[in-house]
Amino acid sequence: MSEFELEMTVNGKPIHRRAKPHQRLLDFIRDDLNLTGTKEGCGAGECGTCSVFVDGKLIKSCLMPVAKAQGVQIETIEGLAPHGSDLTTVQKAFHKTGASQCGYCIPGMVMAATSALRENPDAGIEEIKERLGGNICRCTGYTKIFEAVEIARDVIAGKLSSTVLDADGAGKSYIGNNVRRLDAPSKVAGKLRYAGDMVMPGMLHMQVLRSPHAHALVKSINTSAAEALPGVACVVTAADVPGEDGFGVFVHDQPVMADDRVRYVGEAVAAVAADDVLTAKRALELIELEYEEIPAVFDVEEAMKKGAPVIHDYAAGNLVKHIPIRKGDIEKGFAEADLIVEQAYDTQPVEHAYLEPEAGIAFVDHDDVVTVISPSQNITHHRHMLAKIINKPINKVRFIMSPVGGGFGGKEDMIYQGILALATMKAGQPVRLVFTREESIISTAKRHPAQIKYKMGIKNDGRITAVSFEMISDGGAYGLSTEGVMRKAAILSCGPYDIPNVQIDTYGVYTNNTPSGAFRTFGAMQSQFATESHMDICAEKLGLDPFEFRRINMMRDGAVTHTMQTLGSVSIGRVLDAAEKASRWEKGPVGVRGSERKDVGGDDTRPPCTLGARFRKEEKNGRQEVA
Amino acid sequence: MLTCDKYHMPTSIPEALAIWQDAAEGSRLVAGATDILPWAREGRAGDVNLPAMIDLSRVAELQGYKVANGRVHLGANVVYQDFLTDETLRQHLPCMPFCSIWFADDQIRAQATLVGNLVNASPAADGTPPMLALNAELEIVRLDGKALKRRTIALSDFVKGPGKTDLQPDEIVTAVICDSLPGYGGSFQKVGQRRSLVISSACAVACIKMAEDDETVEDIRLALGGVGPVPVRLDDIEMLLRGKRITADLITQASAMPAGRVASRTRQEYRRTVVKGFIEAAILDALIECGVPLPNAAEVENAHV
Repeated sequence: MSEFELEMTVNGKPIHRRAKPHQRLLDFIRDDLNLTGTKEGCGAGECGTCSVFVDGKLIKSCLMPVAKAQGVQIETIEGLAPHGSDLTTVQKAFHKTGASQCGYCIPGMVMAATSALRENPDAGIEEIKERLGGNICRCTGYTKIFEAVEIARDVIAGKLSSTVLDADGAGKSYIGNNVRRLDAPSKVAGKLRYAGDMVMPGMLHMQVLRSPHAHALVKSINTSAAEALPGVACVVTAADVPGEDGFGVFVHDQPVMADDRVRYVGEAVAAVAADDVLTAKRALELIELEYEEIPAVFDVEEAMKKGAPVIHDYAAGNLVKHIPIRKGDIEKGFAEADLIVEQAYDTQPVEHAYLEPEAGIAFVDHDDVVTVISPSQNITHHRHMLAKIINKPINKVRFIMSPVGGGFGGKEDMIYQGILALATMKAGQPVRLVFTREESIISTAKRHPAQIKYKMGIKNDGRITAVSFEMISDGGAYGLSTEGVMRKAAILSCGPYDIPNVQIDTYGVYTNNTPSGAFRTFGAMQSQFATESHMDICAEKLGLDPFEFRRINMMRDGAVTHTMQTLGSVSIGRVLDAAEKASRWEKGPVGVRGSERKDVGGDDTRPPCTLGARFRKEEKNGRQEVA
Repeated sequence: MLTCDKYHMPTSIPEALAIWQDAAEGSRLVAGATDILPWAREGRAGDVNLPAMIDLSRVAELQGYKVANGRVHLGANVVYQDFLTDETLRQHLPCMPFCSIWFADDQIRAQATLVGNLVNASPAADGTPPMLALNAELEIVRLDGKALKRRTIALSDFVKGPGKTDLQPDEIVTAVICDSLPGYGGSFQKVGQRRSLVISSACAVACIKMAEDDETVEDIRLALGGVGPVPVRLDDIEMLLRGKRITADLITQASAMPAGRVASRTRQEYRRTVVKGFIEAAILDALIECGVPLPNAAEVENAHV
């Protein structure tokens, strides 16, 4: 590949370097100039974490070959408020409103906000939303970000005093007061370094070979050609594990890399550490792997049948965990009911989609301590598991938690830290691995898809006499957090309702799908979706107002839960009152309302999605009535 | 991941054509490069190594636009954002701001070219239906010995199918030339899975000129994208509406017509339903831009029943 001379100005400084033809502007800014405030969230122009100004126009630097930057002026997040100077008004406003949470989208978001106000200092909220439309935030729901941009706009225009950007007094208590985050200045300035931003002298770059098969025996792995490629430091496989392989949150059923067989598409089989990412990628192509595909199972009911392919030898029935709960006498409860309502509910897998793809850097220090830096949500547990895997005493294993660019439960699993540890131990050099977005989606845990069978017995007066709840969840190929998710789903399955007779069974099942794991609510979402949907259906069948039906059955102070815990104070009554008021609910059973809904279209509801606020003409008459 | 052995940035057409003619097979022309980089990723083309990328963004002849004789000559480097920010383009191409605002986002529009969108010939390309409605032609150049040989071709003949065009291996598209429609009201409809950065499941464009009475359609242009292998101009609906007094009944009649054009491989039923609403919305939105009163809203509503 022919390198070329590149000259440009970056944040006011002239730059003259050699560049490679395949580099994107993003690579050049991050890798060559070490300006890591510009992030890579997707590499496909979707997320906006890489936004920079090129000759005054905001662009996505992952979509710009660096050759295009010949002779241009570049401004990055680091250039907005150069070292030693005050934050800009936009940055201060982000700090003030709490717009930065995990912070990973924030440099790009600050750049987009800066661009919006440079393009139109008078932009209204709809135009601001449109101009920020190319940037994704996974934490905030955008409200605080939009609020920050509006405050910044008004401060810049002199309509608001800059004192609005100062911290509010916390008074006697932090509770109920708007407290600014301590870490926000480093995030809005792009200074905070996430694992993928970290570099070490002599650092190698890792790429991972992943299984294309859902279920296959690994007959042979030959890594010699890959190891012989110049620039390759080492290749690691399951054979490099010196200790007892296996990790997981509850059951240690997942090897660092597949040993004798692969159990899902995307499972790591081998990894290469090399001088650069390209060399590591080329080395992956030289690894000779022989698979023998074996029958796979993708459906939980199929997986539970006799004769189904067995995914883990220890679990012949493919069961990860069954959590049963019994309270009262279920048969008596249904016998007492005037009405029995049965319904099935299905939920789908969900990706966490944090803006920071998984990344980590590992090294062996001067005292032979194997150190892994990563945005792990569970470093203490990871440390214990890794010590066993690499057969070292716990004081020779260290985990450092780097800033987590969004987790939501998805970074609880030790999915790649073990691979990094093996590679740095083998190569004797620091090793870094940064997932692509595609890799993050294909290889990491999802929310459990669930199939729920709900059966509820009700009296005509609205009292629930019995509930039977059966949930079968797809745990995917490995256990991860499935056991805990099944426990919580079972515990919360009947919602905040006082039900005398209860029969609950939650099952986590192995399949050859992508593993399921922790995801905020940890099983409650699936069971609550079913419970609350069922409450609505039952209320409708009884001709009761859905709020009223819930009030009849809600737990009150002193209630005993179906896990036999006596509750001191119960807040569901207040929650229902607040929800009823906020939703402008029209009292009465479903179906008694008039043709017009009074609960939609108010100031606090979302208007229809439009674009073109900056140029669209006003309509002459009631266009929206046309619908 | 996209890699290439050489990255060329010619500054003139003869230089670009000479490099293109000599480039090894598999080399690619790029303009904004916003489509090729996401293409070379896992799940699409995967890792791709190109012998050469020939970047046309600094070719002087491809910059800017000219308006003359009722036509707009758009150089191949005109980017989508220009249709939003340039007053003259907004006036002469009244549907393009609406098309542009739904295309990707502000940042990608600053890079992505209209001609690149046309040449990639995606069935869902947002730029093709408006250009069909504006009777666009492409200007194409190649080297004939040392001389430049130019030709023009109607866009409707140029796009042959998904990803297929009439462009020959040694040719470069230098411009798109289309009708200038000042005084028309324009609109663009699009459905996709999110607001910004989404590829159309279906899209529609309308340009309408109303007579002085504010009630009679003097001229109308309509086209649909995302409903079959290539975007289509809706001549039959245009014929129906041209010269007629616009009423709710007429709009309803027109809206029912394009369903038969849906020939996509997937979600045909959905697209048929969508395009029905699209034509109505496209006409009504364009009428708003014309600044004329809309046909009675209740009448339109009733006409659906």
